[in-house]
Amino acid sequence: MLNTINSLDSLIFAKLEVGQQFYWQLGNLKIHGQVLITSWIVIGLLVVVSFLASRSIQRIPSGIQNFMEYALEFIRDIAKNQIGEKEYRPWVPFVGTLFLFIFVSNWSGALVPWKLVKLPVGELAAPTNDINTTVALALLTSLAYFYAGFSKRGIGYVAKYIQPTPILLPINILEDFTKPLSLSFRLFGNILADELVVGVLVLLVPLFLPLPAMGLGLFTSAIQALIFATLAAAYIGEAMEGHGEHEEEHHE
Amino acid sequence: MNWTILLAVEAAETAKEGGLFDLDATLPIMALQFLLLVAILNGVFYKPLGKAIDDREELVRTNILSAKERLEKAQNLAKQYEQDLGETRKKAGETIAQAQAEAQKIAAAKIAEAQQEAQAQRDQAQKEIDEQKQSAFSSLESEVAVLSRQILSKILGTS
Repeated sequence: MLNTINSLDSLIFAKLEVGQQFYWQLGNLKIHGQVLITSWIVIGLLVVVSFLASRSIQRIPSGIQNFMEYALEFIRDIAKNQIGEKEYRPWVPFVGTLFLFIFVSNWSGALVPWKLVKLPVGELAAPTNDINTTVALALLTSLAYFYAGFSKRGIGYVAKYIQPTPILLPINILEDFTKPLSLSFRLFGNILADELVVGVLVLLVPLFLPLPAMGLGLFTSAIQALIFATLAAAYIGEAMEGHGEHEEEHHE
Repeated sequence: MNWTILLAVEAAETAKEGGLFDLDATLPIMALQFLLLVAILNGVFYKPLGKAIDDREELVRTNILSAKERLEKAQNLAKQYEQDLGETRKKAGETIAQAQAEAQKIAAAKIAEAQQEAQAQRDQAQKEIDEQKQSAFSSLESEVAVLSRQILSKILGTS
């Protein structure tokens, strides 16, 4: 069994590595180098494309400006639908960057042949298949909705923990932990599972058969980006409405 | 050996360091660079393109509004024009009728005058005829007297 797999090992693509990290040392801190490298490429790509799109803005958009305006309207729709017409504008950059970063990361993992670049240990892959990235994004989302709640409703935001009844207080508090947990693990699990499925299929049948799985991977990657951004927007929107609005309604 | 086909958990257990659920300084760095990305994209993407979209929307909205206004104005003008046209037609009809009536009146007056003149001329002619007849009769009478006197003398034979 081992020998047969060893013979496949000569193929560049037919390798599968899980949980091996390319460590960088920063002081006495350890950093996953392969994650940061791909994330820089993703960030660079986003910044360059955005810069090209907004370099010379025309009233009648064409080419890359048109494409990015389409993307921006898509993002605005996500934010508008979840947060509401009145409040969504300040949150468009955050929600939109979540979507763009995750989307480009996921697709880079599926489309860019990272494995052609050899690292001493580990391999380049989508930044989102590392738990650090997804947890970072999920924690930022948590901070964002706490900030949204407190800045909109002040200290009254904590009142939502005893709504509709104080009995739900533990569940409401638990929710603040489950939200980032589910956000991060959903994304992490989907992307990692997709790459593993494709990797195993490539290992077993190197030609043609992995293609449907790869196509499906592109689809799930896009869906995951959309889900993450939509949920983040929904959490922010939920934190800002609720109790405060009810009070306003009572006063009116 | 570079490869492993182990389940995720097993991989995490077997690797001396690392593994799938290996949280370390990558996390805060990723968070920071994500926030940086938000800030950069806000500057080069969301703000300028958002402004472009909003401006275009505003432009389209004002254009539609002004177009509606102009349409309304045009419709009003058309209505006004139609009204004016109708009024003018009515006035023209009135003028024509008036002119016709005047013409009729003038024609009638002229005819009456002509008839009167003709009558007068006829009367004059009649009068002249009568006069001449009278004078003819009177001259004839004197001649008759002369002739009769001559005849008388002839007959009586005064010679």
